[in-house]
Amino acid sequence: MEAVVASILLLTVAAAVSLKSERGAIWLSVAALALLLVVPRIELLMYSMLIVAIALINTASLTVKRNQITGVDYSLVALIAVATMYIAYTNNPAFILAAFVLASVPTYILVMVGDRANVNVAIKYITFMVLATVLFLIGAFLLFYTEYYPSEILYTLGFVMLILGLGMEVGCAPMHEWVPDVFTAADPLPVSVIASITKIVPFVAAYKILILTSSPLTAHLTLFVAFIAVVSMFTGNIGALTARETSRILAYSTVANMGYIMTTLVVLSSQNYLYLAFAGALLQLIVNAVGKASFFTSIKVDGTSTPLMYLIAMSFIGLPPFMGFYSKLFILMSLVGAGFVWLAFLLIVNSAISIPYYVRIARSLARPTIPGRATAIAFVASIIMLITVIPPNWFVDVATYLIGGV
Amino acid sequence: MILEFLLVPLIAVFIAPFFRPKAATGISAAAFLVPFVLTVYGLAANRVFEEPLIDIVKPVGTFYLLGDQISFAFGFAICIVSAMVALYSLPYMVHRFEEMSYDIEHEYRRFIFLFNLYATSMLWLVFSGNFILLYIFLEISLLSSFLLIYMYGYGNRRWVATLYFVWTHIAGMLALIGFLITGFDNGSLAFNGIAKIGFAAWLLIFLGMVIKLPGLGPHIWLPWAHAEAPTPVSALLSPLTVGLGAYVILRVYQIDPWFIKEYMVPIFVYGVISSAYAGFAVLKQNDYKRLLAYSTVSQMGYCLIAICLGSYGAMAVVIQYISHAFGKSILFMTAGGIIAVYHGLRDITKMGGMHEQVPTISNAALIGFMNLGGVLTVGMFGEFFILKGVVDTFGFNIPAILSVVFVFILSGFYGFYTLKRIYYGTPKDYKKARVPRLLDTPLYIIGVISILFILPPLAPLLLNAIKLGIGGVIP
Repeated sequence: MEAVVASILLLTVAAAVSLKSERGAIWLSVAALALLLVVPRIELLMYSMLIVAIALINTASLTVKRNQITGVDYSLVALIAVATMYIAYTNNPAFILAAFVLASVPTYILVMVGDRANVNVAIKYITFMVLATVLFLIGAFLLFYTEYYPSEILYTLGFVMLILGLGMEVGCAPMHEWVPDVFTAADPLPVSVIASITKIVPFVAAYKILILTSSPLTAHLTLFVAFIAVVSMFTGNIGALTARETSRILAYSTVANMGYIMTTLVVLSSQNYLYLAFAGALLQLIVNAVGKASFFTSIKVDGTSTPLMYLIAMSFIGLPPFMGFYSKLFILMSLVGAGFVWLAFLLIVNSAISIPYYVRIARSLARPTIPGRATAIAFVASIIMLITVIPPNWFVDVATYLIGGV
Repeated sequence: MILEFLLVPLIAVFIAPFFRPKAATGISAAAFLVPFVLTVYGLAANRVFEEPLIDIVKPVGTFYLLGDQISFAFGFAICIVSAMVALYSLPYMVHRFEEMSYDIEHEYRRFIFLFNLYATSMLWLVFSGNFILLYIFLEISLLSSFLLIYMYGYGNRRWVATLYFVWTHIAGMLALIGFLITGFDNGSLAFNGIAKIGFAAWLLIFLGMVIKLPGLGPHIWLPWAHAEAPTPVSALLSPLTVGLGAYVILRVYQIDPWFIKEYMVPIFVYGVISSAYAGFAVLKQNDYKRLLAYSTVSQMGYCLIAICLGSYGAMAVVIQYISHAFGKSILFMTAGGIIAVYHGLRDITKMGGMHEQVPTISNAALIGFMNLGGVLTVGMFGEFFILKGVVDTFGFNIPAILSVVFVFILSGFYGFYTLKRIYYGTPKDYKKARVPRLLDTPLYIIGVISILFILPPLAPLLLNAIKLGIGGVIP
């Protein structure tokens, strides 16, 4: 916990130093990330190693090309990583919400930088994000309020607002309007951050809040979640199948992936399999973060090494023994265990429709292997996708620990 | 002990690409012959091996390797066919790369890696003692075969590969849900930890495997995929991979057979119709590889028929898998031989009297069709046990016996009819060609093995082992 505070201090220094020297800024950001590895427990260490790896991938992709705020942007990524780590420690509602805001605000700046800086798109993005944050915060407040003054109507309202805010923040249909526009119009390098590490905190926050405020009503409200999840999966996959540009396909793939993760929230109604659901959600978030970062960087440099692109695409499709398989396996296990076989079935149908467009992405980005930064990023991403060659039992422990504290 | 033997081909997957094509082929073939020795020993020794690998979270249970007589029997066919097809793929793929104007040495590295991965995953699959482990190998085999079709197939290969992938991926995922339901009911997915399998789970697994097998209806992906794949891949896809659907059903059946027993008659009828339909469809085909693909559908109908017929039926499933693997791999390799020698000749209407030009291939095709028709080869026992099973289960039921006999006769008929169309009759105007040694010798090795297994001492060895594996009665 103290290490997190220390790394926030380091980042403040880094932002100041970045005015003078980029090199100093990047080293301080990396040091701040390294401080996150100082953790009291092995489960947290595994989690922080994954988060730091994702943050390093994101930082590395920002270094591919200079932008208007080079230096500051590394600190912003590190700040998101700190928030992502911080939320693992806390069960305090105020801190959870603080982490939520902390992970979201840096992207407002990131969306505006790069070669294709576009104010219209940035304003669209920021408007949606502010709306999402407000919905999420009010929803969370209402949920905590009903802890003290029980009221079914307020609980329902709070739950719905929280889910809508979450859906808008990460890009679930039918609130996904901003995703394809921003992902295609903005510069691929900042998008590689926006599409990747920023998605983790909202879901962890939603999980923690919903578990803290769980009530018997949740069982009835999960149908609403299931609805959003299913709409999101189908919108995303059908949109991706019909899209032409690679970045637009990736945008719709994000919508679909967020739908998969949203399904796990229905398991809140039966607490027995919650640890599996959270493990699946978190692993899918990591797959999404690692893969999208690598794909968007490859778009910027017009393609990278063929085998690596195919490997990442196969992981997204969900083939064993890649990480994408285990995330879907955990999600399916939790859904089947909690009695939502129909939802598991729809998820499978969707994962089958998604195959052609992932193959298309891989094909359009596949180039001969040339050593370079984008190739290195794709290589690290592939290594992360491959760590599940040994079945990830440990990850279930990590996930159990992360929500077990609640 | 199994682990060490199974590691040999797995290691070969990763080292073979570092050698030149000839050496890589030799290493691959040798690597599959090592576990072949194990399977023959396993069949002879009649022991059951269980080797734990790793414990996984609650509903998945232990991953362990299971070597019982059924695994050994399936593994036996997989090893020998993979080894021979590996040898065969050297001249064939060189021809294919020339045709696609690829750099041969560079491209062969990729090919041999994927090829070995594909065959090895199937071998590991039949030794998996846990349904999730089994599913993982099912998907690895799917992935590698998909890539092989995608990169080296014929015709509209990308579309065909995607079609194949989508269908069989759905099949696998349906089965996966079935496995997961089973896992939650029993608290484990290890074979030795499952006591009962509920209706929904059985239905999902069965549907998934019928798509993969495939039965009539979901079979539409098969003729495309098997005909357009490069021939060495067809020669694994059709003989080995699709039959693994029957293997999975057999495993589930051994654990809890109630579903098959309950719905015996509909499945039996479906199997007969599926087999007969595909048998007639074979007669209409004009593309050699597509013809063989339909014949696969027909042969897999046998497996559906056999699975309904009690313990004799279960024996017949195993023998049918082996004989089909032998026969169909020989036949696909003959088709590939003609393609390689006559530069893409696949159209049967342009063939005729090929025995004159390529006698070695023609004779191999004869052995192949003898295997499919169950004439003087190991397939004979398959048909015998199916008939025995019919009589045991349905009693002296004339329609049941006649329908099965009809399907057998149909198989024999289309086999010899095809032989006549392609190899006998008036020769067409082709030059007599010299067939490279590796394009015909492997076929005869498989053919000799298929014939050796109807003679003592190998025939009783195989049959006794399978009988013990099924836990059955009298041979």
